[in-house]
Amino acid sequence: MSIGSRLAGWLFEPVPLARVAVLRVLVFAFVIVDVLLLHTSGWYHGHADPVWYEPLVMGEVLHLPPASVLLVEVLKWGCVVAAALALSGRAPRLLGWTVAVCWVWYQYVAFSYGKVDHDRADFVVALALLPTVGLAHLSDRRRSEAAGFALRAVQLAAIATYFLSAWAKIRFGGFEWVNSATMVRAVVRRGTPWAEWLLDVPWTLHSFQWVLMAAELTAPVIFLLSERWRRRAVGAWFVFHAMTYAAITIAFWPHLVMMLAFLPLEEYADRLRARTRSFVQRRVRSGAAPPGASTPASRPGAGVG
Amino acid sequence: MGQGEQGSGVAPSPPLRMGTVAKAWRAVLVVALTLLFCAGSVVGDDHWWPFSPWRMFSTSQAATGSVWSTGIEVRTADAPDEWVHASLTPENVGVNRAEVEGRIPQIEADPARLGTLARSHARLRPDAPAWVGLRVVRHKIVVVDRVPTGEVETDVLAEWSQP
Repeated sequence: MSIGSRLAGWLFEPVPLARVAVLRVLVFAFVIVDVLLLHTSGWYHGHADPVWYEPLVMGEVLHLPPASVLLVEVLKWGCVVAAALALSGRAPRLLGWTVAVCWVWYQYVAFSYGKVDHDRADFVVALALLPTVGLAHLSDRRRSEAAGFALRAVQLAAIATYFLSAWAKIRFGGFEWVNSATMVRAVVRRGTPWAEWLLDVPWTLHSFQWVLMAAELTAPVIFLLSERWRRRAVGAWFVFHAMTYAAITIAFWPHLVMMLAFLPLEEYADRLRARTRSFVQRRVRSGAAPPGASTPASRPGAGVG
Repeated sequence: MGQGEQGSGVAPSPPLRMGTVAKAWRAVLVVALTLLFCAGSVVGDDHWWPFSPWRMFSTSQAATGSVWSTGIEVRTADAPDEWVHASLTPENVGVNRAEVEGRIPQIEADPARLGTLARSHARLRPDAPAWVGLRVVRHKIVVVDRVPTGEVETDVLAEWSQP
């Protein structure tokens, strides 16, 4: 088999449609939480004077205006409404790409006032490509090349984030970055009470920089790992991000959702459904059902059809 | 290694395949995105977002030197003679600290720009006392061999007063 066909086989390796369906639910639910709670600076830019507006290349090409209160309200609620409708799984392309346009524009508003958050670019890939799968039901276990491609693209973007951020450290910080006081600077500027002790033990933050650089440079190895070790690698990255959040209250939220594309989400969803069902059945058997509720055994016609 | 279904115990049905055209445009898209992300990382800057370099915490901070932290201080209508610290956050002034830090040269050249922060504050916090003066201060936290010494130098970079 040629390298080209092996690469194509890897890029389009079929996965269950249900996995894409679960990831979409998580992505669209995240969008709602994100615009309402997590990343609200775009909304406040509607109240900032246009003198602070600094168009990005995207804004210059598309002639995007400075933020106004009306614009940020439309984008914010456009995201929420479109994502809420997209959660239903209906019209996946129309609603999915509507969410993509609203969310990307809302991020543009947030980033075109002099500060770009560097953790949100890969999520654009997820919003743009997950709709290409078309209809995908939560219980559809048929394997699909379109689903496999969308998930592979999301995985590639998520891992590129690590590898290219290591490259950026070398480009902007030089090879001496690993021996610099960059993490000391981060903790001094925005460290939590749980992290301040690290300043008194400077080798901890120093060695952490070496570990981080090594982990980011070798992140693409995840594609060579077995299923079991791949899940462990994802778990290790989640531990890293949890530690970062505990130390300096920075979390790369959209990226964390992207990393879920490595996991067998449809199996987790099945387990969750089974546990919920058995919990409800136990509650019903123990007589804790709400007044007026009937059990399947006592309800006329139960089990028919 | 594969990303397919594992251990379901059910004989898998034939996968849903795509046609050549559907695969071709997806492959071209992946190549295009790869080139854009790599170009952004190699020669791009923040203005290229979403293809900008992933440069979070990428700059080198000298092991011995000073860590800079920028903030604002204000005089309010209630206490016009007293400078007090104010939060430099989007919730308070519409922009955040990094956005102000990136415009220090423009602010120093035209301190009247700081008046826009006071006006945004009035819109966002209509019940708070109005700001009649605002100045940008830079705290330099001295670090020796990666350990903060506790010494802090503070400079006033630009100041605005309500006309």
